[in-house]
Amino acid sequence: MSVMPTLPRISDEDFQKFREFFYRKTGMLFEDGKRYFVDKRLLERMAATNNETFRGYFTLLRFQASGGELQTLINLMTVNETYFFREEYQFRCLVDSMLAEIVAQRSSSTKPIRIWSVPSSSGEEPYGIAIYLLEHWPLLRQWDVEIISSDIDTQILKQAKQGLYAERAVQHLPEPLLKKYFQRVGAHYQVRKTLREVVEFTQVNVSDSADMRSHRHFDVIFCRNLLIYFDDLSRKKTAESFFDALNPGGFICLGHSEAMSRISPLFQIRRFPEAIVYQKPLEAR
Amino acid sequence: MALKKGKPTPTLDIPGERQQARDLDGLVQALQADDPLMRRWAARDLTPHPEAAAALVAQLRRETENSVLQVILTSLTAIGDDTAVQGLIDCLYLEDAMLRNAAIEVLKELPDQVAPFMDRLLQDPDPDVRIFAVDVLESLRHPRVEDWLIEVISQDPHVNVCATAVDLLGEVGSDQAKAALASLKQRFADEPYIQFAADLALKRIEAE
Amino acid sequence: MKRILVIDDAATVRLYHREILEKAGFVVAEAINGLEALEKLEEAPFDLYLVDINMPKLDGYGFLRALRQLDVPQAPAIMISTESSASDRQTALVAGANLYILKPIKPEQLLLHVHGLLGEWHQP
Repeated sequence: MSVMPTLPRISDEDFQKFREFFYRKTGMLFEDGKRYFVDKRLLERMAATNNETFRGYFTLLRFQASGGELQTLINLMTVNETYFFREEYQFRCLVDSMLAEIVAQRSSSTKPIRIWSVPSSSGEEPYGIAIYLLEHWPLLRQWDVEIISSDIDTQILKQAKQGLYAERAVQHLPEPLLKKYFQRVGAHYQVRKTLREVVEFTQVNVSDSADMRSHRHFDVIFCRNLLIYFDDLSRKKTAESFFDALNPGGFICLGHSEAMSRISPLFQIRRFPEAIVYQKPLEAR
Repeated sequence: MALKKGKPTPTLDIPGERQQARDLDGLVQALQADDPLMRRWAARDLTPHPEAAAALVAQLRRETENSVLQVILTSLTAIGDDTAVQGLIDCLYLEDAMLRNAAIEVLKELPDQVAPFMDRLLQDPDPDVRIFAVDVLESLRHPRVEDWLIEVISQDPHVNVCATAVDLLGEVGSDQAKAALASLKQRFADEPYIQFAADLALKRIEAE
Repeated sequence: MKRILVIDDAATVRLYHREILEKAGFVVAEAINGLEALEKLEEAPFDLYLVDINMPKLDGYGFLRALRQLDVPQAPAIMISTESSASDRQTALVAGANLYILKPIKPEQLLLHVHGLLGEWHQP
């Protein structure tokens, strides 16, 4: 006679409970259609933490003083890969809406427009912004634009400066752009030197106020899919540092699953046709 | 005009807001400057100075600029000592709803420091303060949370205080909350919300 | 179908209101604080707002003040409070609430107010 082991499972009640908890903590709300995705990851973490029941695991999530397990789970639920033109609608928003407004507020074009991309990761975002501006923003002929990109990880910064990518990272780029801005290096593609030279990479720990203080006067900040990994306090602190780093009227773009409404009340919500972004009020200092 | 290589901070930048001395006295003084930008920087730079908790609390009560207020709250959370916690608890008694809610939000981040004050807060004569106290319990990762909640729904005479506690018990409650939930339903038999929330909490506990 | 936004940081309260309103044929959306409510209404305006007072990030008063200044189709708002002092009621009405009611709320009472406000709103 064999005894079937009872495999742990996530009941409907468990799912509801988890969904509410996770929503409150992160602002991410899983639709019913995501049930399989969520269950699979929960079961994976239950196994990894030696919890045979959801209840046990849920207690760990809620009450672990370090919050480490919650963080691990958040990472798992938000797995993201970076590639060129990821969340392209925000670049469109940059060109069609944000820059148009920034330029309109300026009286002269002597000072450059400054864009900060954090985290740089391996460079897909800052180079992507550069390419997007060159291709889609005709006013670039009248304005100087500076792109600064930062990351905490020195290893990844090295990679970013090198600008060398596998096929998968460039798969969303149209062929002509690939030809124009990259050169083949074996099986890889490298961003051309002229483009690599105009992006400034720096090491920054966004939780460190001294690091943050040295980065100032930006018109647009891209900070996508980073804050989701932080606890509430660090998230709020970082948002406040970004507030200081922005010029009045400057914009900040977050990842699609992140909302400033969960982080800080300092910014105004701006709905443009392409995206919702957040603005430091023009009258703010 | 084109893409140009830039610097983290433009050379022309004059960090006027940080000209004042960065020692404790200078910062505490800057906390009362006329320029909100200077106050904001001072509040931020005071984070590593627990001695400044009282000054931050005092400024919190009179600060008019939201961006400064937010930074003061963040610094107080980071300091998180008894002075900071007591200053935030005092805010629960204020008329200003925004400051009250901001204080609750910060207190939720400081479970260990708030815990010693909890028994007293849950006995406060003002039902609104007791509601705030239960609100603070929400995010407290503290082993006594369930006991506190059971005590509230068993003893608190005010329906809205109990209602707030039931919401939470649905999340953290275990078998030992069942009896208290059942008697709460009897105590407020003609309040549909209490019936709804208690049933929901019981259903969730049963499903465990 | 009329769309109602329920704004409250307590999940159980949102669920309670949702069930009552959906049974009565309304379409219900939820927001966990005032800022999230502002984001939601940027996506599409609502026919009525049910607003809790005490919430993190942006409380009910702050939400109403912001809403009333926005260039969006306006709609009636019911402020729901646990407080009962005259000054709170006054603050709520000045901030832009059309009605101020106290918790706990009975279903028939809520529906009466909702139908009443929606009816008035469409009269000249």
